[in-house]
Amino acid sequence: MVAADTGPILEVKDLRTYFHTRTGVVKAVDGVNFELYPGETLGVVGESGSGKSMTSLSIMGLVPQPAGRIEEGSQILYRGENLLEKSPAEMRNIRGKEICMILQDPMTSLNPVYTVGNQVIETLRQSDDNQRSSSLKERAIDLLSKVKIPAPDSRFTNFPHQMSGGMRQRVVGAIAMAGSPNVLIADEATTSLDATIQYQYLALLKELQEETGMAIIFITHDFGIVAKMCDRVAVMYAGRMAEIADVRELFNNPQHPYTEALMRSVPNVDEDIDFLYSIEGQPPALDNLPPGCSFADRCPYVFDKCLEEFPPAVVAGDRHIATCWRLTPELAAQEAR
Amino acid sequence: MTQAVTDAPTSASNGSGNAIIELENIRKYFPITRGVLLRRLVGEVKAVDGISFQIKEGETYSLVGESGCGKTTTARMVLQVETPTEGVMRFNGTDASRFTGPERREYRASVQAVFQDPWSSLNPRMRVGSIIMEPLLTNQPMGKHEAQEHLETLLRDVGLRQAQGEYYPHEFSGGQRQRIAIARALSLRPKLIVLDEPVSALDVSIRAQIMNLLRQLQDQYGVSYLLIAHNLATVRYMSHQVGVMYLGRMVEQAPVRDLFANPSHPYTKALIAASLPSHPDIEREEMVISGEVPSPLNPPPGCHFHPRCPMVMERCSVDDPELRQLSPVHQVACHLF
Repeated sequence: MVAADTGPILEVKDLRTYFHTRTGVVKAVDGVNFELYPGETLGVVGESGSGKSMTSLSIMGLVPQPAGRIEEGSQILYRGENLLEKSPAEMRNIRGKEICMILQDPMTSLNPVYTVGNQVIETLRQSDDNQRSSSLKERAIDLLSKVKIPAPDSRFTNFPHQMSGGMRQRVVGAIAMAGSPNVLIADEATTSLDATIQYQYLALLKELQEETGMAIIFITHDFGIVAKMCDRVAVMYAGRMAEIADVRELFNNPQHPYTEALMRSVPNVDEDIDFLYSIEGQPPALDNLPPGCSFADRCPYVFDKCLEEFPPAVVAGDRHIATCWRLTPELAAQEAR
Repeated sequence: MTQAVTDAPTSASNGSGNAIIELENIRKYFPITRGVLLRRLVGEVKAVDGISFQIKEGETYSLVGESGCGKTTTARMVLQVETPTEGVMRFNGTDASRFTGPERREYRASVQAVFQDPWSSLNPRMRVGSIIMEPLLTNQPMGKHEAQEHLETLLRDVGLRQAQGEYYPHEFSGGQRQRIAIARALSLRPKLIVLDEPVSALDVSIRAQIMNLLRQLQDQYGVSYLLIAHNLATVRYMSHQVGVMYLGRMVEQAPVRDLFANPSHPYTKALIAASLPSHPDIEREEMVISGEVPSPLNPPPGCHFHPRCPMVMERCSVDDPELRQLSPVHQVACHLF
């Protein structure tokens, strides 16, 4: 799916988003690196507090102010240009046109006092303001039918409360597609939908992707979505990247103990499991991270080094990187002895 | 083979097979009225429309279905928060609607609940010890020393430290709060606990902990569970019996193994097809069901599922399918069988 000759459309380099509070610095995102290629689907998996949502807000330039700050040295390159150096006006032009976002709850991302048609038109007007309103309406209805809303002509005048949850999320999808973005960030976009509706929505996103060739970032806590939708997966833990790999490589050959444990602790629809492995304990507080590896106190393979120093990113295979001391050459040599 | 293999995922299903609670043809209709003074009856929402099932001692019965299928209303009737419009609910063989004074009190003590959101189900101004002990002390007054002993046992059984009884709920993480809610539900040594989406608000790595705890407590206390869940993987891991509901009716009912090995109703098949895979290489049978769950205010005639069913036949829109025995333990309501 990834064209080898084209470079990445989005590159996140050493992203650090910190919150400066009265009680100390909360390191929500602490040194995240990844690349996203055109047409690719990247899954970002993690639990609450792992920094996955803050990573997406950082890309969108929507980090809560004034406490949240993206630290010096971080880079978010969109088509080679650093988004962090853009002015607010320039960012406004990128948001919605180049990079779009779909959030979890469609009730809060739509305005309850405007018809859904108006909300789609509003976005269309943003991307191109000298257009006649009749053609705008046509394009809006077109978009609504593209996201498979039945009877888009009559739905055009509906208010959000007149629609079901699945339908509202489709409208949000239509709004996101209005600017024909190159990157779509879906932040837990299907979590609030029922099973069969989620299935339809995921199929819709895939279809839109094939049609437009946009890249999608799925922010999720669900390995099922990753298995179904993604080409590549990044696993985050306590604000840091634990592992990143192609989806099959990650599922067949997880290298970071956290990834491995997480996969074993998810129940399975496809087979009977006698006893589910569970990771004891809970993720550390982000304002008081241990000096070593953040997963050390829950890790079954922990040893001295893990408690002293944060592990480096190690190449663990083809396009496969994991941050774990067990994978470093020095340690492998030590073990061999 | 000398003995029938127990179909239980847990070791102890206590096999005796005594039904703790039995619902027979239970209906719950909510009236819809118009007007302020003369409240005209203009319709009814048939939230639960004639369902029957029983929960055996020491077993878990799960209700699955999408929003609006009536699973929560059923749970509320079991908790006697809602009175059925029609039908009989038997508790240990006696009709629960006839309970008066002391019997009702005993029933309420025997049936407890754990809810989805541990952030709103615990009183923030009470210490954890008081939260856990409140139901017990209301029902059977006891001395301070005895109460302390009970509390210590409960805290230990759910995996909390003694000292944590002195803390307030805000000092705990989601998983620990759910442990507190479970301890509170267990304090009266109930026969049945209603678990309404007990893990869906928790983080992935915590879910396995709570599911394992619930299963272990079932073995230890011999308690039955009525599990309300939408995640089929959770249901498969936790249950002995499963009932699939659609728009207020039971469409399929079977022991967990039979249901997943041989799903028969098209809706059950669709739910399984729509559930997310556990590995990227798992290809599911494509089972496209279009549209959404219709409004329970005005359900389609005949089989409620027929407008979305890929196997729809002529009679489906006319005749209500009865729940038929597919095997001695497997029931399905569909004209295909």
